[in-house]
Parts: sequence; C-alpha cells; structure tokens
Amino acid sequence: MKPVKLALAGLAAVALLAGCGNDTTPNPMAAAVGAVAKTGMAKLKGQSAEAAPAAQPASPEALRAELAQAGQPILLVSSKALGQTGFLTVSDAKGGVLTWATPDGATFSQRDGVLIQTRGLGFDLMSAQAPSVGQLRQVGTSYQRVYFFLGPDDQGTRRTYDCVTSSLGAERIEVLGRAHATTRLTETCTRSSGGGKVTNEFWIEGAMIRQSRQWVSGGLGHIDFARVID
Amino acid sequence: MQPSSRLLALLALGTALVSAPALAEMPGTLNLNGATGLIDMPSGDAQRDATFSFSTALIGPVTRSTLSFQFSERLSGSFRFQTWRDFDPVAGDESDRSIDLRYQVLKEGRIAPALTIGLQDLTGRGLYSSEYVAATKTFGDKVKVTAGLGWGRLGSDGGIGSPFGSRPPVDPLGVPNADQWFRGEAAPFAGLEYRVNDDWTLKAEYSSDAYVLEDAERGLIQRDSPFNFGVEYQRSPYMRFGAYSLYGSELALAFHIILDPKSRATGGIVGKAPVPVKARPARAADPEAYDGGWVSQPDAGPILRQNLAKRLARDGIAVENLAYTADTVQVRIRNGRIDAGSQAIGRTARALSHVMPASVEVFEIVPVVNGIGASKVTIRRSDLEALEYTADNATLLRERVTVTDAGPAPAWSLGDEELYPKFRWSLRPVVRLSEPMEGDVGLRLSANYDMAPGWVLSGSIYKEIASNRETSVSTSTLPRVRTDGARYSELGDPALEKLTLAWFARPADSFYSRLSVGYLERMHAGVSGELLWKPVDSQLALGAEVNYSRQRDTDGGLGFGEYDYDIVTGHVSAYYDFGNGYLGQLDVGRYLAGDVGATVSVDRVFANGWRVGAFATVTDVSAEDFGEGGFDKGVRLTIPFNWALGTDTRRGLDLNFRPNGGDGGARLSVDDRLYQSIREYHTDGLDPDWGRVWR
Repeated sequence: MKPVKLALAGLAAVALLAGCGNDTTPNPMAAAVGAVAKTGMAKLKGQSAEAAPAAQPASPEALRAELAQAGQPILLVSSKALGQTGFLTVSDAKGGVLTWATPDGATFSQRDGVLIQTRGLGFDLMSAQAPSVGQLRQVGTSYQRVYFFLGPDDQGTRRTYDCVTSSLGAERIEVLGRAHATTRLTETCTRSSGGGKVTNEFWIEGAMIRQSRQWVSGGLGHIDFARVID
Repeated sequence: MQPSSRLLALLALGTALVSAPALAEMPGTLNLNGATGLIDMPSGDAQRDATFSFSTALIGPVTRSTLSFQFSERLSGSFRFQTWRDFDPVAGDESDRSIDLRYQVLKEGRIAPALTIGLQDLTGRGLYSSEYVAATKTFGDKVKVTAGLGWGRLGSDGGIGSPFGSRPPVDPLGVPNADQWFRGEAAPFAGLEYRVNDDWTLKAEYSSDAYVLEDAERGLIQRDSPFNFGVEYQRSPYMRFGAYSLYGSELALAFHIILDPKSRATGGIVGKAPVPVKARPARAADPEAYDGGWVSQPDAGPILRQNLAKRLARDGIAVENLAYTADTVQVRIRNGRIDAGSQAIGRTARALSHVMPASVEVFEIVPVVNGIGASKVTIRRSDLEALEYTADNATLLRERVTVTDAGPAPAWSLGDEELYPKFRWSLRPVVRLSEPMEGDVGLRLSANYDMAPGWVLSGSIYKEIASNRETSVSTSTLPRVRTDGARYSELGDPALEKLTLAWFARPADSFYSRLSVGYLERMHAGVSGELLWKPVDSQLALGAEVNYSRQRDTDGGLGFGEYDYDIVTGHVSAYYDFGNGYLGQLDVGRYLAGDVGATVSVDRVFANGWRVGAFATVTDVSAEDFGEGGFDKGVRLTIPFNWALGTDTRRGLDLNFRPNGGDGGARLSVDDRLYQSIREYHTDGLDPDWGRVWR
C-alpha cells in the first residue's frame, strides 16, 4: 500500500506544507487552520474580547456603561449555531444603510435594522431585496423577498420568497440590562418555487427594530441582533 | 497518515457547515473499478454532475486505483492504474493503465430504467477490456436493481453467444480497440443494492467476469462462484468504504474519496470583508469638491498612487501605474493573491472610491498579467456608489460595466518601481506524480526577477526527497524526447529545472505575444515564441507557436552533450469557449520527435478554479513506433487550494496522467503560455464568478 500512501501523503503535503519565500501567496497550512478557526462567526470573538472582555464577569448594567463610554452606536450580534457573540460598531453609514464591522473583517449591513448584506463570513448574503420596517408593520399584506448568494462554485444564485408578517402582540424585552417595550412580529416567507421556508423575528420599538433574529444563508442559519446603544 | 486525515477532517468540517441536500435521489455508487456500479459490475447509474472521485480497491493480489470524473450529466470517464502482485514468477508484479468512458443513454424515469453504455479499458493492451450495456431501476427509496450485458471480460462467464460477431485479438499497441468493441461472447450480469439508511448500503451481484487472467492463466484469484456480496459505509459526503466477499474465495476492500468541484468545502471564500465604497458629497452641497483643479498640483500623482498602493496591498494587489485626468483614472494592477479576477477588480474600485478626488467619475481598471494588460474594465463611480447596497447588485453592475481591450498604458501614467517587489522567491515542497500512485516528493527553489514591465527572468531548482518511482528503461525507436524521463529524475538530482528569460508584449489590439529563451524545461532548452489573438469578448482565440530546442543532458546541468538532438517545432492553435465551463482546444503542428499531427483537448473549468480535462494527440508516428498505447493521450486536472481552504490563494495542484508515455506527440513544456493567463480577465473568465466583484 506504499504507493497509495505516498500519493495521499503527497496530496496532503502539497496542501499542508507551506515552504517559504517572499512570494505573495499565503501559507496554506496557516490558512487551513485559519479557515477552520474563522469560518463563520468565530470572527466575532475578537470583537467581544476587545469591546467587552469575556473574562470579566461584569453585570449587564456595568457592561452597558462601559460600552456607552465609547459614545457610538453598538449592535450586539450572536450566532447560536457558532456559539459566538460580539459587540459591533458602525463602519459605514449611507443612504439609510448601516454597516457593522468586527475588527478582523466581517461585516453586517442593515437597512433600518433589516439585514441586506454580510461579508467575510464565507456563506455570505451578497445582497437582498428586503422589506422596510414600514412593510414589516403592515401585518397580513404579502410582499416578495429575494436573497442573492454566491453558490459554492462562485456563481450567483437567488432565492425568491413570498412573505407575510404576523403580530405576536406587545412584548417586554431586556437588552443588556435595559427593558424595552416592543411589538413582536414574525415574518414568514415561503419559497415561490422549489419549496423551503424562512422565518424572521422582529421586536419593534416605536419605528425601530430593537431586536431581531434574521436568516442569513443556508450555511449560517439565523443570527440574532440587538441594538444595545443607539 | 496524519496529514491526510487532517485534510479530510477539514473537508468534513466544511460539509458539516454546508446545508448539503439529502441524498434522497440515490445517485449511483462506485464499484471496485472506481466506476459507477455494483461491486465488480457496472450499473446504469451515473454520479452527480461534476463529481470527481479517487478510488482504491484491493482484491487479493490485485490493486486498482482509479480517478473518475462525471464530465457532464451523462458522460463520465476514468483513469485507472492496476497492479497484479506476483503476476509472473520471474518478472514479478505487472501493472497496467486503462481508460474508461461511459455514457448514460437514458436517465431513469417513472417507468424507464437508467441505461448506460460503457467502454472499459478502451485503448490499452486489453488486460481489462470490456464493453457493457447496463440498466438500473430504483424501487422506492431503498432498492435498486441492475441488469446488464457485457462483452470482453464482462462476457467471459455464462455467455449467451456472440450477437455482433467474433472478437478479434487485441492489437498489442492498444490504439482504441474499436474493432473489438461489443464483439465476441456476450454474457448477462445482474445485481441488487439495498440502502439500509443514509450511511449503509448492502450489495449483491452475479458477475459475468470469469477472471480468466487472474484464475486460469495466473492462479492469483480463485473464482469459485459468480456471486459477490458486500457492505458499504458512507462516512461523509467525501468518503465511502466498502468490504466485499468476491467469487466465493476472496475478500475485497474499497475506499473512495469523492469530491464535488462545484462546492468549495468552506462555502464561500472566507477572506476579509471589503472596505465600503466611499460616498462623495452631493454635488449641489459641495460643488468645490468636484473641482478638477487638483490635476495641476504637481505632487497629486505620487500621493494618490501611494495611497492607492497602500490600500490595495492589503488584498495582495500591486499598483503597476496610475494615470488620471480630472474625470478619469486608469490604474494598472497586478493581482497576486485573489483567485477571482472580478473580486480583484471590485477591491480596486472600492479603493479608488476612497483615494480619488470627487471629480473623477470613470474608473478604468487594467489587470496586468506578466507585464501586459489583459483587459480594461471600466466602471462608473456613480454606479458603484448607487449599487453597493442594491438587491442583485452584481447583475446590475455588470450591465453598466464595459470590458474592452486593455490598450497601451497612457503616456502620462505614473509608474513606481518601488511599489512592488521585483524579486520574488520561494522554497516549497512539491509532489511530482507520474502515475496516480507513483512519483516523487521534493523541494523546489524558484525565483523570479521582473527586470522591466513584460521582462521576466525566472528559474527553479528541484531536489528530490523521496520517491517510489520505478526505474524504467526506454525502448523507444524515436528520438527519446520524453521516454527518458525516469533517467532525468534519477540522474538529475538536484536539477536545474528551468532558467529562462521571457518577454511578454501586446503588439496590437487583441494580440498578445511571448518570447522565452533559455532552459525552458527539464529535458529541453531553446527559444519559444508565441502569438495569440483573443478579443476580450470572444469565445474564439487563435494562436501560433514556434520553438527551436535542443535536448538537455540528464544530469540536470547546463550541458547538451548527451543527446545531440535539436529540432524546430511549432503549432497553430484554436481555442473555443463552448460556454458553461467547457473549453476546447485544437493544436496542429510539428512535435518534438519531428512527428506531425494534431492534439484535441477538452476541459471543464469551474468558476472556483477546478479544471478537469482530457487530451489526445495523433501524429504520423506509427503505433508500432510510439510503443504501447499507440498514441499520446491522457487526463489532466487542477485542484485550487482555495477550494479546500476557503481563503484567497491563486495556487493549486496541477496533475497530468497518461496511460502510456511515448515520444510521439510530445510538446515542449513552456511556462506561461498566453491563453490561460489572459482569459481570466476577459469576459469569458470574469463573468462566471462576476458576483465576487462585490465581495
């Protein structure tokens, strides 16, 4: 079995060993480890370590006070699937779109709190035709939602859904030690063709989305967002 | 195997994250031949489109290693390396390479079964030759029943007569054995698959292969019964194992690595998010920002160029030069890392939105390959600003972007010799495979020096570390332009593989040229000139190449004393992009041994960089002179590292396999042939993964 082993070892060796030089290509082994470590939301950890030292068992109120000192809006992002949580700051604001960034290069773009793009996560949402907050609040009227992705072969794909929201009534929620009176909406989207269903949850306070659980992509599932500091 | 299991673990982790569709439709499974089938018999099924597999099977003293690729939904092919241990009491082991083709004539319908016609070992010495027609029908989601009729080996037991006449003996030279196909005794075979659950499958079959070679002739395998039984375990989408009882006497094991070039293991590329496009102030609000007066400031150019270079360096993009007017900027970039041309262009456009004054409305981005502009992508800044957060922004931007001929660099452009390293070197481990399981592992030290735009001095030295290559002595009657390869590997250690000076240029619109001089490859040295015509939006390209070369000594040094062989070779080539990733190429000309003929090759390329293809060369060298195999042919593949790693890298693994190496139909192996490097930035290269422009 020696030849087979050599072939396999060879394939692996090429992929894993890096060599050296000043050529611009990165170290594939480091990259491999990095890919595993970083795939998806692991990136957020860097943020949480910076903005809110994880080791420090602070009370939510203390944490909020600390965050407020930065004097800028803060978004709490967490992914159950990847077990990551982080506090994000705004890296770009224009035309009603806020882009929230982690320091090591993942971003979430939201139009009035509705997620329309992500970058740097691998299974990114490339763009979206998404409802406005006003649309979400019109309970019972249906509309179309379109998600645009890059397939695993890097070709563009789209998924079109017919959506409708329903109200679950008033709900009092707590975001990092502060209570908010919200209306809870569920957005239910069914695939126009090919089956499949997506649900998003929104907790709306006045005219803004205070908290949400929004679907990102098949690879990442849902991500939770909460506006901690306006 | 520690490293390989780590790689596989990585792959497996990747899939865990992908929401892989359930295998509800029960695609075909692989058999001991690495082909779609039962245990030792084929079936009417096919693999999912583009599936690539590497299979190893042990059947007593017989080992079969097979690479298979589902080239399209219906067509698939295999390259197999088979060894028989203790084949001959004197000569010892025997090995043989074979090529299969299968075509699924009928896809399974509600009533109709899947029907496949296959040719196994269609061009070899015939040790493994057979042809078959197999039909497979699925019942429910658990059971598959296969029945078929085989010829050749697959018609050697339980024959029912010879419907298409008698089978002539194999031409020992193994040109396609077309006069044998479907001739001679035909015999039925049949089998059953039962899928216990997603992971486990049971199989049973009735084989029509008498194993005449292994049993009657050589006594290697005793065939007591035509019935085979087995169990298979699907460990992950990437791995499948099988254990079988064969012919009442043997145990067999199979291991398959199954890869899907369409799916990157980590989903999308995991590189860092791009910087947001920088919005300009509204013209009405700040008309002064739009004033073009900055153009006349003497230090504007160097500052802009420096700022841009700094931003782009993060993405491994170097600025070759920058030219601007008050409303247009042209930047020439060299993309060193990002595997998708569209993404490199998107990153450059974003950086320009930060660097250029508001009066600049038109961004012209010229990707430069080997010192020559490959194309010019023109993006309006206001489109970039308007579409950044728009739904389906990739399609909308593409409609507004033009891709045109690069044209010459503007005369007033600002180059900067300090902006990128002119000297690059690397020391890397390399695997050189001469067979799926045979080759050597070593270290390659390579260096490049960019003397001036388009002028590159490069060289490499290779030192072997370990090898399982078998010593072979050429018996070729032609000039030994290739068949002494083993000697070169053995005697030239370490060897100067290459030492060349190359000059790349764009002599006119849509024309590209290359001139390489020096030690072009490990066996030949000389001069190679190439001219390519390829308009940016054309599916067709035409090229011509002329070379003069002398054969090098086998010791890997600089000398030419050993062979006293020199020759002028050359080709005219046509390249055609058939769409959906299928590329064809035809080369007609004179080959290294002085033979004249043509090469046809077909490749399937994927947007993420995977490439799988096959080639065949027929020249006026007779089959006798060529030796075993009759003519040159083989398969080739490129596996990009970014597919497995999910990060930006342009590197990959290139492999070529030939069932029989000969001296006929051989071409110089020159680096940086023009078509592939230019095509990446033409519309047919940019459009398949254009969406990455926003990544």
